[in-house]
Amino acid sequence: MSSVYLILPVVLPILGGAVMPLLHLSGKKRNLFLEILVLVTSLLAVLCVLRRPQDGFILFHLTGNLDFALRLDGLGSVFVCVIAFLWPLATLYAFEYMRHEERTTSFFAFYTMTYGVTLGIAMAENLVTMYLFYELLTLVSVYLVMHPMTKKALHASRVYLYYSIGGAAFAFVALVFIIIFGGTTDFIMGGVLDMDLVGDNVTIVLIVYLLAFWGFGVKAAVIPFQGWLPQASVAPTPVTALLHAVAVVKSGAFAVMRLTYYCFGAELIRGTWAHFAVMSIVMASILYGSTMAVKETHFKRRLAFSTVSNLSYVLLGVTMMSPQGLLAGMCHLVIHAFMKIGAFFCAGAVLHQSQKTYVDELNGLGRRMPYVFTVFVICGLSLIGIPGFAGFISKWNIAAAAMELGNDYPYAYGAVAVLLYSALMTAVYILTVAVRAWFPDKGSAEAKMKEIRDPNWEMKLPLGIFAAFVLMWGVYSEPLLRLLRAVAQGVF
Amino acid sequence: MNGDFELFHVIWFPFAAAFLCYLAGKRHKMIRDRVLQFSVVLEMGLMLLAAYRYFGAGELEFIWKGFCMRGLYLKLDGFRLLYGCVAAFMWMMTGIFSREYFCHYHHRSRYYFFYLLTLGSTLGVFLSGDLYTTFIFFEIMSLASYVWVVHDEKPAAMKAGEIYLAIAVVGGLVMLMGLLLLYDTVGTLRMSELYEAVKPVMQEKGGRIYAAGLCMLFGFGAKAGMFPLHIWLPKAHPVAPAPASALLSGILTKTGVFGVLVVSAEIFRYDPQWGKLVLYLGTVTMFAGAFLAVFSVDLKRTLACSSMSQIGFILVGAGMTELLGTENALAARGTILHMINHSMIKLILFMAAGVVYMNLHALDLNEIRGFGRRKPFLKSVFLMGALSIGGIPGWSGYVSKTLLHESIVEYAAELSARTEPVLWIRGIEWIFLLTGGMTIAYMTKLFAAVFLEKHPLRQKEYDTKTAYMNKESVFALLVPAVLLVLMGFFPYGTMNCAADLAQSFLHGKTPAHAVHYFSFVNLKGAAISLTIGVLVYFGLIRRFLMGKDEKGDVCYLNLWPRWLDLEDLIYRPVFEKASAALFGYVCGLADRMYLVQIFLKVLLELSAFFCRACDHLMDAVLLAFRSTTHKSRTERHVYLIGSMFSRTLGKILDQMVRIVNYTIRRKNPIERSFVVTFAEWEEMMRRTNRLISASLSFGLMLAAIGLALTLVYLLWW
Repeated sequence: MSSVYLILPVVLPILGGAVMPLLHLSGKKRNLFLEILVLVTSLLAVLCVLRRPQDGFILFHLTGNLDFALRLDGLGSVFVCVIAFLWPLATLYAFEYMRHEERTTSFFAFYTMTYGVTLGIAMAENLVTMYLFYELLTLVSVYLVMHPMTKKALHASRVYLYYSIGGAAFAFVALVFIIIFGGTTDFIMGGVLDMDLVGDNVTIVLIVYLLAFWGFGVKAAVIPFQGWLPQASVAPTPVTALLHAVAVVKSGAFAVMRLTYYCFGAELIRGTWAHFAVMSIVMASILYGSTMAVKETHFKRRLAFSTVSNLSYVLLGVTMMSPQGLLAGMCHLVIHAFMKIGAFFCAGAVLHQSQKTYVDELNGLGRRMPYVFTVFVICGLSLIGIPGFAGFISKWNIAAAAMELGNDYPYAYGAVAVLLYSALMTAVYILTVAVRAWFPDKGSAEAKMKEIRDPNWEMKLPLGIFAAFVLMWGVYSEPLLRLLRAVAQGVF
Repeated sequence: MNGDFELFHVIWFPFAAAFLCYLAGKRHKMIRDRVLQFSVVLEMGLMLLAAYRYFGAGELEFIWKGFCMRGLYLKLDGFRLLYGCVAAFMWMMTGIFSREYFCHYHHRSRYYFFYLLTLGSTLGVFLSGDLYTTFIFFEIMSLASYVWVVHDEKPAAMKAGEIYLAIAVVGGLVMLMGLLLLYDTVGTLRMSELYEAVKPVMQEKGGRIYAAGLCMLFGFGAKAGMFPLHIWLPKAHPVAPAPASALLSGILTKTGVFGVLVVSAEIFRYDPQWGKLVLYLGTVTMFAGAFLAVFSVDLKRTLACSSMSQIGFILVGAGMTELLGTENALAARGTILHMINHSMIKLILFMAAGVVYMNLHALDLNEIRGFGRRKPFLKSVFLMGALSIGGIPGWSGYVSKTLLHESIVEYAAELSARTEPVLWIRGIEWIFLLTGGMTIAYMTKLFAAVFLEKHPLRQKEYDTKTAYMNKESVFALLVPAVLLVLMGFFPYGTMNCAADLAQSFLHGKTPAHAVHYFSFVNLKGAAISLTIGVLVYFGLIRRFLMGKDEKGDVCYLNLWPRWLDLEDLIYRPVFEKASAALFGYVCGLADRMYLVQIFLKVLLELSAFFCRACDHLMDAVLLAFRSTTHKSRTERHVYLIGSMFSRTLGKILDQMVRIVNYTIRRKNPIERSFVVTFAEWEEMMRRTNRLISASLSFGLMLAAIGLALTLVYLLWW
């Protein structure tokens, strides 16, 4: 397959999204148009992955040896596949969810454009391209947070904008240093830094790495830049679910992976103070996220805090600075995408069907909405890491990577303790919801909830698929792991 | 997937049956109940099929690579066979019993669904050949059985469920850490390879292996109800429906014991330190459970505490197995037999309690007393269980307790032969006998209350209840009772065979000389316990734990102080208050302080300061220039007024006035300036002139003057 085709999945949704408002399509036609657009894009993206062109495609030269170029490698393919799979389902869900909202046309326009930009991040050949797409992602997705146009939403979108742009500035510093010390910004497994050029400046390089880690980490909500994520849960559920559990935040984690393994090189960082610094940051984020999730009683915000901690699981895997760690990180990146989007969609379905937003209002709702809450329990158990569900696989891998690193640096055992604590907290914040929903105290107001029932198929279908994947990977994950192992060792 | 599929069928079938049963429940309740009974019977059949294969072909294995990532490994050896059969049997009996017991319950489909899930996972635990597989099924079992505990959905059940779930989750997580640590250290989790794998690294990384072992002991011990993690047991077992209590007590605790045995026998084989640890924990559990049971006034709670105590006996056996080293046949056989006995006994006793509850919906001894009078079947079945658990010679409990006791005695003899201190082991022996006595005492208490005494008010009503259970339930109670009696009366034919089959699991060898269960030495131990039991019953229970209520009737008193509850006393305060407060506070602080906001604010302030400083810098420079080099001149502005003439005149006059002021008019100086005065005058003059020149009279005057001049000219020229 010629590498020219790589451009299609990126440009198609961006153009399609931009043109869509001009067509003045009415409700159903518009939905059909969008769904087809998204599906075609996904098919193209998957096709690109299956018949992967070996070389990249240069769109244009920026200056010097900086190119704006697209290319698919192993890591990018994994991310592309996750997004390409989830986006059509989330769009389907969004149609039903947004039915009674206003300004849906502009919402869907930006929603679709975000798809293309996210694919751009996944397919970027070098740091410059990724950086540009990264900035673009902030700009197109800020409208989605703003969409309810309430005071809170506007505030949240402003916070999101400041944090992201500010973070990107940090990342820009890294870009410059990579160009200086590496000569190229292409992503090459093992890093591009030229040790002759670096010379005695290792400390500076490490400082820059730390800055860039924070910079890209803003989107992955690492401490202390986690504040925007829980606030952004005012956005409509399809956004919080897809963007703030998968696309945007995973882009952050993905960028950190690129930065660590493909720019700076894990070997350079392993064992240095910067290594422990980033590990500490990540561990603190895990502790913070899971504890706050327990304290939070707003259903969606609770899940948002859970996302904070789970993203840091991904980063914890990444910061193990070993192929095993990268494998674990990618594994959690993929699996968390499925289980968290499932959990969020459940919360959204509850909100949509019953207008209930707080955990203590959910008493007995499982009886009224059995389908939704069954899926929620499956996704929730997976989040806790119960064996037999997908989440266990990735957590085991992260812990195993930490143990492996612990042989050399006992500090890494701390990561295992953190995982233990966090799993406990996860159990508390998930199971309290599940128990409330399924085992209400006697005499709770069940009569009032007679009207509430499961949503229609557009919402149920994605939920069912997510739950099925969580269970499938929980029981048999060998193909996935084989693929990820190959990617982590740089042979795919 | 390869190996002997018989094992796999045993595992997957209950999971499939669970869904089938649930779907059937949507159709019709009758069909569902039958599907359930059929499933449990079929499961027993599958287990027996596997057993048949075992006797034909030896040990069976089943491997599914990649299942849950690290693979599923099932194995069937003597012990697993035995316990698999016990588990399947218990499920079969409770399944048959459930139909009548549950006929007035809600949400039965849900219950049956999780009932079968738990069956599959429990068998998974017992058939697992590596710790990873054990762990997977263990977790599923823990969570699925939660639904049993809260099935009633009453506040007490919810609270018990809460603590059950908490312990299950925490236990599971800690165990997982242990597994990770072990795997990282020795590189395998397969039970049969563990011993060889651990041996070479024991010297070097002993600490890590012990840490891993302790973590696993924590996890498995929590499920077994080992002190100090027993807190959930006396709460959760009584609130569950009776068939579920029977399973929770009889078999789910055994999964924990199974884990402890695996860890002891495979990782710390013949390790005296480990043996001592397990022994001590077992002793405390044994005694504490019996002690709680003596004080309890609730039928099922007493049975639950009794379970805890019996688990203690088993753990003592497990400890002794390791302490005795290679000569551990007595302890190994005692441990295994006591496990089996306890499972069967609790099956019977809890189902009997279920019959009581089913009819009266009460469990308090004061309310149910007298119910069992004139019900010979229930009475005799309960009696079989009670005699057996009390260790009365002739019943099965006696055999296993004798073996355990013998092993302690043997170890004491061994120690004294090596001239090491024996006092502690003697102490443990006496605690053992004392606990045996207390077991007899609390079982007597139950039996006397339910079957001998009369209810002060409702006795007649109780006596008329003759149709208190249907045929199915009779069958479910009768079969285990008969088995128990057979085991007790023919120990050489039944229990010895079982022990021979299973002892290799604990690496016990058949003892050189057969044990004579009914020899004088062994009967003596039972006699001591019996005596203690009688003393405790009459000396403590009848005397202090029974009193008179306000009406003057004799009743059982609940003297256990309310505050003395480990859960409320320690665990909840520590976990809910202390740790939640600590972590919650720190994170809350982190959230409220808005780290970024503070950072931004400081940054903004600083940059604002700099900008403003820069801003003002230019101004300051300009100001500086203006006040120094570019300073404007300070000359006085002189406004010239008046004409040259008046000014000069005025100045002259001013100078003169100054002189005058200095000289003559010093005291009363003239202040006015003549320049101004003259200028005013001049101005006034000019204005007047203008006025004059512009007026008509002035014109006329000029005309007149002209005329006059003309006249003068004409006259004189």
